[in-house]
Amino acid sequence: MKLIYERSVKGRKGYSLPPDEFEEINICDMIPEYAISKEKKNLPEVSEVDVVRHFTNLSRLNYGVDTGFYPLGSCTMKYNPKINEKLSTLDSFMYAHPCSDTKLVQGSLEVMYELEQYLKEITGMERFALSPSAGAHGELTGVLIMRKYFEDKGEKRHKMIIPDSAHGTNPASSAMAGFEVVEVRSNGRGTIDIEHLSSLMDEDTAGIMITNPNTVGLFEEEILSICKIIHDKGGLVYYDGANLNALLGIVRPADTGVDIVHLNLHKTFSTPHGGGGPGAGAVGVKKHLEEFLPAPLVSECNGVYCFEFPRKSIGRMRAFSGNFPVLLKAYAWILSVGREGLRNVSQASIINANYILARLKPYYRPSYDRFCMHECVLTGRDYKEYGVKTLDIAKRLMDYGFHPPTIYFPHFAPFAQETMMVEPTESESKDTIDEFIDTMIKITEEAKEFPDILRSAPHNTPVRRLDEARAARVPILKLEEK
Amino acid sequence: MAYKVIEGLYYTKSDEWVKVEDDIATVGITDYAQDKLGDIVYLEQAKPGTKVKVDERVITIESVKAASDINAPVSGAIIEVNDKVVSDPSIINKDPYGAGWLFKIKMENMEEMKDLIDANSYQDYRKE
Amino acid sequence: MQTPIRIIEKSRPMRYIPLTEEEKGKILKEIGVSSFEELICAIPEEIRVKNDLNLPQAVCEEELLEKVYNIAKKNANFFEMKPLVGAGAYRHYVPEVVKSVMARSEFYTAYTPYQPEVSQGTLQTMFEVQTHLSRLTGMDVVVPSLYDGASATAEAVLMAMRLTHKNKIMLGALLHPHYKETIKTYTAPHDVEIMEIPFENYLTDINELERNLDDNVACVIIQNPNFLGGIERMKAISDVVHKKQALMIETVTESLSLAILTSGRENGIDMFTGEAQSFGMELNFGGPYNGFLATKNEFIRQLPGRIAGETVDIEGKRAFVMTLRAREQDIKREKATSNICTNHALNLFAIDAYLSLMGKEGLYELALLNAKSAHYLREGLISTGRFNGFAYPFFNEFVIKAKDPVEKVSEKLLQNSLIPPLRLSELFPSMENALLFAVTEIFSREDLDRIIDIFKEGV
Repeated sequence: MKLIYERSVKGRKGYSLPPDEFEEINICDMIPEYAISKEKKNLPEVSEVDVVRHFTNLSRLNYGVDTGFYPLGSCTMKYNPKINEKLSTLDSFMYAHPCSDTKLVQGSLEVMYELEQYLKEITGMERFALSPSAGAHGELTGVLIMRKYFEDKGEKRHKMIIPDSAHGTNPASSAMAGFEVVEVRSNGRGTIDIEHLSSLMDEDTAGIMITNPNTVGLFEEEILSICKIIHDKGGLVYYDGANLNALLGIVRPADTGVDIVHLNLHKTFSTPHGGGGPGAGAVGVKKHLEEFLPAPLVSECNGVYCFEFPRKSIGRMRAFSGNFPVLLKAYAWILSVGREGLRNVSQASIINANYILARLKPYYRPSYDRFCMHECVLTGRDYKEYGVKTLDIAKRLMDYGFHPPTIYFPHFAPFAQETMMVEPTESESKDTIDEFIDTMIKITEEAKEFPDILRSAPHNTPVRRLDEARAARVPILKLEEK
Repeated sequence: MAYKVIEGLYYTKSDEWVKVEDDIATVGITDYAQDKLGDIVYLEQAKPGTKVKVDERVITIESVKAASDINAPVSGAIIEVNDKVVSDPSIINKDPYGAGWLFKIKMENMEEMKDLIDANSYQDYRKE
Repeated sequence: MQTPIRIIEKSRPMRYIPLTEEEKGKILKEIGVSSFEELICAIPEEIRVKNDLNLPQAVCEEELLEKVYNIAKKNANFFEMKPLVGAGAYRHYVPEVVKSVMARSEFYTAYTPYQPEVSQGTLQTMFEVQTHLSRLTGMDVVVPSLYDGASATAEAVLMAMRLTHKNKIMLGALLHPHYKETIKTYTAPHDVEIMEIPFENYLTDINELERNLDDNVACVIIQNPNFLGGIERMKAISDVVHKKQALMIETVTESLSLAILTSGRENGIDMFTGEAQSFGMELNFGGPYNGFLATKNEFIRQLPGRIAGETVDIEGKRAFVMTLRAREQDIKREKATSNICTNHALNLFAIDAYLSLMGKEGLYELALLNAKSAHYLREGLISTGRFNGFAYPFFNEFVIKAKDPVEKVSEKLLQNSLIPPLRLSELFPSMENALLFAVTEIFSREDLDRIIDIFKEGV
């Protein structure tokens, strides 16, 4: 498709401005000459209808949850309720300036305060900061809190334990917070090797970052022992809530012994993923860590809401107080689902994932042959002998109208190679899941009989398989000006 | 799938190959390594004259979806680097044992060769 | 006999979960278990939730709408109350086309474009925004979406420290205070020395900068227009900075100014960071906005975050893909340039649509209109005799000192349905009674005359 610049025609306009009713003023009378650009910045010149058609056509090249099944593991691509989009554009919310006196934004603050109460109840944590912008931002917030906590106690701890199955953001966040990453192995069952953990944990180690259920879709059944090992040496346990969709109303992370959590509101709590964001990464802590939370927090005093700046706060993580519309959508979703509904959400997501696992395991040997939680990890390793990789299977799925699962992650053990992480969420009907399963089975037949079809897939997407090496070897990162 | 392994070269378990001529070790990555990395797109070369210790990272090779550290199989000083692979990294994919060599080390301790493995052992090690 | 009707606890049907009880039974049977509980047998009994969570009962859509609508009413009527405050968040008019683009669910219900064959809409938009922002900032390469201007600037500081292997950073005193705090949060673990460069007459004191600059400085960060709206002498500043081989980071919070001001290329800027909220995003009580980080070609391997590149598919057709991926956390883990994964990508559709609509001429005209409006209000306020102005060059934000107590000035503006300007005394103790006004095109000349008239009558 043409770039918007390739539709540009000199003199064409897509804008309407209020009339300029001011006297003729020379720009140089307002802005010093040294600061004025010699040329106007060369943006495209297109009409309003050009813009509308451009984006309508671009949208048709995209695949979203509203288009079809999007089982992207670890991303919880559930349905994003339409009513929540409307709520977030109510005038009084949408036009609220972040520097307004708090007495003018009592409604916005009430939403944030109430959301915090719900998240506390769901997780069992004592206090939440809603400002972090995304999961990884929440992780960074969490590990900075850990750092500050030890600094406050006069302890120097420079290491962080991360499971080999962890998301890449965990080690990256730890490194950003100045920790040296130490990897703990998984055992043969796909969960943390407790003995190895014991041998790693010491008084130089701040603690562990743990995802539960982990990235293989398995519940860390020894979570209590894990927390004990860490706490016995004075460490802290960080809970990455990327997979909380499995635990709503079933397990409260706080009861498993963890000290800090982050929740991805754009995953578990249904806010849209926006083509890569915005999300929100609310961070919850237990009592002993409250005073280190990032500024600002929302608090209530005699029915009046205000911002609070914790005494020993790690500081600000961003300019203002959070992604308000995202927080509002999560709040609305909790209200719509209600207390019984939350458990049903997790139950349905677990049932759906196990159904896929049960029906597909004869075709795609799973990394671990056990019941899974809300997602399952299958592999395409049996088709390598036909010259077919998991990548080819994923690309072929698009021909049949499905978004592929997460592929090549996790990839930490020999039996966790050629992986496909499938997360159906609670949003999918049995019919959709059956169609997906049948298609996956059909693809295994194709792999054996017509492997070329897979290797050259996809065939009927807007573009075919891309030359990614070319993009990286000689990067073209913008349209050059003529 | 069988990966190409060349007789007469030495290998490491981190998939580097080493050709030893007198006290000069030429280093590259194996066919297995280039296949696992996929299309190699970028690397920054080492500076000639740099001293390296065995198992120390010398350079990082990046492919489209992976990045891999290349460690020194032996200790010594880097005396020559292959600049052709910087301007065209695909050479490493096409000819890992030939034109795709990476750097040469003037060895300071020939004893370290004992820790390298031969072609047969490497082939067994990377049999799929 | 008829079966008596059993009254069961009313549970509302869950419209977001399609699975029926009957299907659930069938599926469990197929899996080979007799109950759901068997599937979660790995979870120890002692940590399971025993009682119902203390949360409200589910509400229906109509109840939800009413409930949230009533909460929204507790806010001021912000649509009518126009803000005279900016300070890093600016209310500009957002054309309806921008909103309709943002509302397309093919965009907002997708995720990160990991599968480029079905994500060209997102990827091409990234590429177009990279082009727009590159042209506006005059930099070679742009990471189009980080969380916001503050975190983007903090990432640039970390990047400068990696590039220079130095650990001293100098912040302009007139960098947005929240940006300063964010930089301090991000750099706290890295043994940094942070120094502030004082200002004089509302602009960075270049002599003080030169006097304090030494060989250990990794980077100097200057906001332009600065927090008080002042237009800095960027070329002069960057020339000084480069004498000591430090990197020059320019930051912008009011991106509309880019339409008029000299570019990073002209000024020798090494990294250009900013907040693109002015390009099609509503205020939304502080976010989500959109941070960007632009730099020169030579530094691209150290950039944080996602970037789209052009390539071709197997049929030779032009297409876009996320590229330079080996910098990122999912590949490099603890060696990645940043931990960022999810960003604020949806706002790229707003930026792309907004800048395409405005175009070369429109954005320039709009910037000029903003400057004129702000200068007009400042003159008018001073002419009432109740304010003192200061002579320094500014774009659409300026400082003015009230002769009356600022509380009264704010009160008066509120009574007239206006969100008052920022009081500066809390941030700068020396600026008692000083107010930071922001004026955009949402105020017509008539609106501005009305504001001036308010003060003619006295406070």
